[in-house]
Amino acid sequence: MTILDRIPESLFRVLSIVVIAVLLLMIIFPLYFMATTAFKFEGEIYSELTWIPREPTLSNFRDVIFSFDIPIYLRNTLIVAFSTTLIVVTISMLAAYALTRLRFPGRALMARGVLFVYLIPGSLLLIPMYLTIVRLGLKDTYPGLIVANMSFSVPFCTWLMMGYLRSISVEIEEASLIDGCTRLRSLWHIVIPLSVPGLITAAIFIFNGVWNEFIFALIIAQDKSHRMISVGLSNFYRSDYYMMGPMMAGALIAMTPVVILYIFSQRYVVSGLAAGAVKG
Amino acid sequence: MSQQTLSQPVISPRAVPKKGRSLFAGDVILGWLLVAPALIVVLGMVGYPFLEAIRISFTDRMIGRGPGRWVGLANYEYILGWPDFSEMVVRTVVFAIIAVILKTIVGLILATALNQGFRGRNFLRGVFMLPWILPTYIIVLVWRWIFDGQTGLLNQILVSWGVLGENYPFLARPGSAITMLIFVLVWKGYPFYALTFLAGMQTISSELYDAAKVDGAGRIGRFIYITLPGLRQVMGVVILLSTIWTMNSLEIPLLLTGGGPSNATEVFPLLTYNLAMQNFRLGEGAALPIMMLPLIALLVVAVASYMDKEATQ
Repeated sequence: MTILDRIPESLFRVLSIVVIAVLLLMIIFPLYFMATTAFKFEGEIYSELTWIPREPTLSNFRDVIFSFDIPIYLRNTLIVAFSTTLIVVTISMLAAYALTRLRFPGRALMARGVLFVYLIPGSLLLIPMYLTIVRLGLKDTYPGLIVANMSFSVPFCTWLMMGYLRSISVEIEEASLIDGCTRLRSLWHIVIPLSVPGLITAAIFIFNGVWNEFIFALIIAQDKSHRMISVGLSNFYRSDYYMMGPMMAGALIAMTPVVILYIFSQRYVVSGLAAGAVKG
Repeated sequence: MSQQTLSQPVISPRAVPKKGRSLFAGDVILGWLLVAPALIVVLGMVGYPFLEAIRISFTDRMIGRGPGRWVGLANYEYILGWPDFSEMVVRTVVFAIIAVILKTIVGLILATALNQGFRGRNFLRGVFMLPWILPTYIIVLVWRWIFDGQTGLLNQILVSWGVLGENYPFLARPGSAITMLIFVLVWKGYPFYALTFLAGMQTISSELYDAAKVDGAGRIGRFIYITLPGLRQVMGVVILLSTIWTMNSLEIPLLLTGGGPSNATEVFPLLTYNLAMQNFRLGEGAALPIMMLPLIALLVVAVASYMDKEATQ
């Protein structure tokens, strides 16, 4: 028996709550100050520490929206994120269906390869992918950004959908095939409707991934007309001149879509956790 | 094994005794047709660049100066010749190991605490996921401001509480810059650990714990002999996966410290980026990750075999 065992159950629960509270404070602390700073005047930010904005203001939001082209970056990011998600989910679903349901030579090898490709770290591909994009004439274009994002998300999404397809029963499919349904009809009318939850999970991860992606957005699209929100915002503090208020307001704007998406889709995100959908 | 599972006939033979052959007849063409778009993306944007990286690493290519000349192993020799090359490799590996160990420990503690089961747990789980879902560049942006030596929040707080006499440049001193870098890596990463560990803990039967209690096992005994073995599979995958991502994490060091002060936080992905994008030396920038490849490949193979097992169980 150790000291831990002499602690009664009730005290152990209190201890747990204390641990959770401390960790929770560590999570909330930076986010709280990001949110409140966005509503403070410059003078207040640098002069002293205030927990609540003395004179709440929306001027930072006005600055960041009207003087720093945030709407353009948001538009670019939305275009790239939606296109990537749509394309990736479509081609990954087709590939995942073929790799789990059809029998053809090369399938086993490709099914294994998917996971390996997903695990290849981006730092390895940074330079050659940049050069490929340049050679294709896709630097500073939406297709360039979409193609770069596809390269990480196609293997991941295919792998996720393969796992999902393996988990759903093949009996209805079998029945439809015996009844004379073609493979494609069965895919369209039976498999895809059954896969909707898996497809939603995949779509959320991909959209979120594109929205949050920074490194490839940085090297592929520095040009203002195609700049992504991640690059646009980080330019604020990559320069020497700090503007905390507008920067934090911009950060709040940039993270809002992600947070909203997450609130409405928590259960899909949690189900995706089990699939190892992680970079961090 | 996955091979067996993968090669099982999808349509059971007894359901289609004779027509089986004709049902599969179109599979070969259709299969390749459906796989083709994904295959093109992967071969074109991962396979080809990967081979291209190996080729470039043997040239003296620079940005904006044409294809460059073949220089054989010169880039590799150049990198190996750096006085601080081994230091950089050790630094990369040590940072990753420390961060992963801390994430595992804090993750286990949080998962254990959350596993006590109380009201509002689902809400808390949602809040704890924030570091994981929020964009990394925003998280780094906020922490960098907090640690700032001039107007940073941490300085404001510590000075106003009298802990510090004057502002301390947290990101401009090697020791504290390293600490802060690891802190941000852990802060961003541990919630994912905690939540996967928690999911794993919830699949462990409570009967096992009751039986152990009857046998006189204490809290630590139950944790060591029931919880940890129950989490072995999940922990294996998470730790290996996270070691790969942490070692290759470019965004956090790039935006938090940029490798400074005086290279104290220069890790290999950052050096690759700096060589290629700041110094325009593509050949050397391509050679560096290839030198790290054996280590990464080892981790990738390990985690792939783990995850394969899990996916097809």
